Amino acid sequence: MEKQNKSLKKGLRFYMHLYRMILIQDLKSKMSYRADFIISTIGMILTNLSGFAAFWILFRNFPSIKGWSYHEILFLYGFSLLAITPVQCFFDNNWSIYRMVYTGDFIKYCFRPVNLFFYFISEVFDIKGVGQFIFGVGVLAYAWNKLRIPCTPIYLFVLLMSVLSASLFMISLMNLAAATGFWIMGSAYVMIFAFKFKDYARYPITIFNPVFRFIFTFIIPIAFVAYYPSLFLVRADEVPLLTYLSPILGIMFFYLSYKVWMKGAMSYSGTGS
Amino acid sequence: MESVIKIEHINKEFKILKKREGLKGSIKDLFSRDYSTLKAVNDISMEIMPGEMVGYLGPNGAGKSTTIKMMTGILKPTSGKIIVNGKVPYTNRTQNAEDIGVVFGQRTQLWWALPVIESFNILKEIYRIDKKTYQDNLEYFDALIGAGELYQKTVRQMSLGQRTLCDILASFLHNPSVVFLDEPTIGLDVSMKSKIRELIRALNKEKGTTVILTTHDMGDVDALCSRIVIIDKGKMIYDNSIEKLRSFFGDYRTVKLKFNKKEEVMQTEALEKEAEDLQSFLKSQFKGAKSLSASVDDKWISVLLKEDEVHMMKVINCIQEKKKIRDMTLEEISTESVIKKIYEGDIQ
Repeated sequence: MEKQNKSLKKGLRFYMHLYRMILIQDLKSKMSYRADFIISTIGMILTNLSGFAAFWILFRNFPSIKGWSYHEILFLYGFSLLAITPVQCFFDNNWSIYRMVYTGDFIKYCFRPVNLFFYFISEVFDIKGVGQFIFGVGVLAYAWNKLRIPCTPIYLFVLLMSVLSASLFMISLMNLAAATGFWIMGSAYVMIFAFKFKDYARYPITIFNPVFRFIFTFIIPIAFVAYYPSLFLVRADEVPLLTYLSPILGIMFFYLSYKVWMKGAMSYSGTGS
Repeated sequence: MESVIKIEHINKEFKILKKREGLKGSIKDLFSRDYSTLKAVNDISMEIMPGEMVGYLGPNGAGKSTTIKMMTGILKPTSGKIIVNGKVPYTNRTQNAEDIGVVFGQRTQLWWALPVIESFNILKEIYRIDKKTYQDNLEYFDALIGAGELYQKTVRQMSLGQRTLCDILASFLHNPSVVFLDEPTIGLDVSMKSKIRELIRALNKEKGTTVILTTHDMGDVDALCSRIVIIDKGKMIYDNSIEKLRSFFGDYRTVKLKFNKKEEVMQTEALEKEAEDLQSFLKSQFKGAKSLSASVDDKWISVLLKEDEVHMMKVINCIQEKKKIRDMTLEEISTESVIKKIYEGDIQ
């Protein structure tokens, strides 16, 4: 009976405390592979710089795309970098599912009295994402200034909320892609494919043809990774309903992806030994 | 006393896709899925009492891991009932995990890049072990096998033996009522094996933890288990004390012989031929002795006989008259050959 009560009390505080603890330990161990840490950080910066260079060259030649100015698109670009930071920093372990399922190592996560999704995801904090975050903040601040968006606490709060809900879409998309690893062998390709979509996320949805517009809104909802949530700030006069709904939709999508992920993980029973 | 684990008539079936051969067959497989059922576990029942140490044996693919997975809640039995610590493991896996410890093969459950003590600290939080119990356990482990010097080492720097040792300690850290050890001594050297056996025995005795041990190493069984359960092809074929098994085979004797110097350099086939000849010769001499057999055992020719059928001295005399014996040892039947005999279906 005593044990029963104990397990009921495993609430948010328990998980927050545990997460902080695992995070600190993970960072400590990251530091112990110093060369790996430095090289991957440099790699991340170079990747971002080259992405930005391509973007810049594009706008040297076209001053605007479908009525979107250079600075507006730059805003979306910075916004999308912020929105994909959480998936990179906190959900990076999703990339190892297919390997762990294949080798049978995933089974070690199945014997702990904590939420399986939490336990698996908490194990890795990917520090490379931080470089991208800083880069994103710089780009966003520059565009913010050029677009003359007021810099008041309310606007910053709106920014925070919209970045958070935008990030949920990318997290959920990657959760779903990773969860395929519980059923199929080639899920690494599914993940790479899904992650590629982040490159489309940084453009306004209006530049695509109606078919893709529909797909990117309702099927693979990457339009929510930057376009819809950021409309609040960039074009406050033409905010569609979907923008208001994006936090709710984000939470729903995340919940769905979590359920699918858990279903896959619970059906996992390891390899022979 | 109430049992820790109670299993009643469990079955586990797996659906397996029948694969056709060749490329054509593979393409056909894409369209028509033809399943066959494999009974991995077939009507197994057992009851395990607190503090017992049970050796769970069987050849590869017998269904050992499947049973363990059902007891830990990873797999759901197709039919039958399992109760572990008064709970059904698969309906509430997370809760069941509070009170069990698992070491699965060579897969470490510790954080690869962290010092062991940090892994233990995280486990302390996960299992909400109170401070005193935690400290007591750490000191106890240190007193037991000098684990203290391993605490600051990171897991990736450890030898396989040290890692296994730490994994076992980690599985006992929260004082679980049952610990499942799946082949804990696989791939370890002799001294590490005995160290790990010592550790398991001490933990079982002093903490009263129930231990379920699967292994292929009969040394583990001899050193640790008083009760053994043997399964083969999903069916339970033995469940009783190890003494009983030995006494059943108590009349068996093994005589190992070497006839001339050539054995050291002879091909295995030639040796086997020689053993075969010896066996047919002995069979013709002692007509009533059904169990009498000869086989090759690591450059020795080993003769197995049963004392109540024919006396050992008679057999040795008989052989000596035919050939010159250069070297000889006598052995009681080992657990290993008993198990082997059971696997091979020699007794029911």
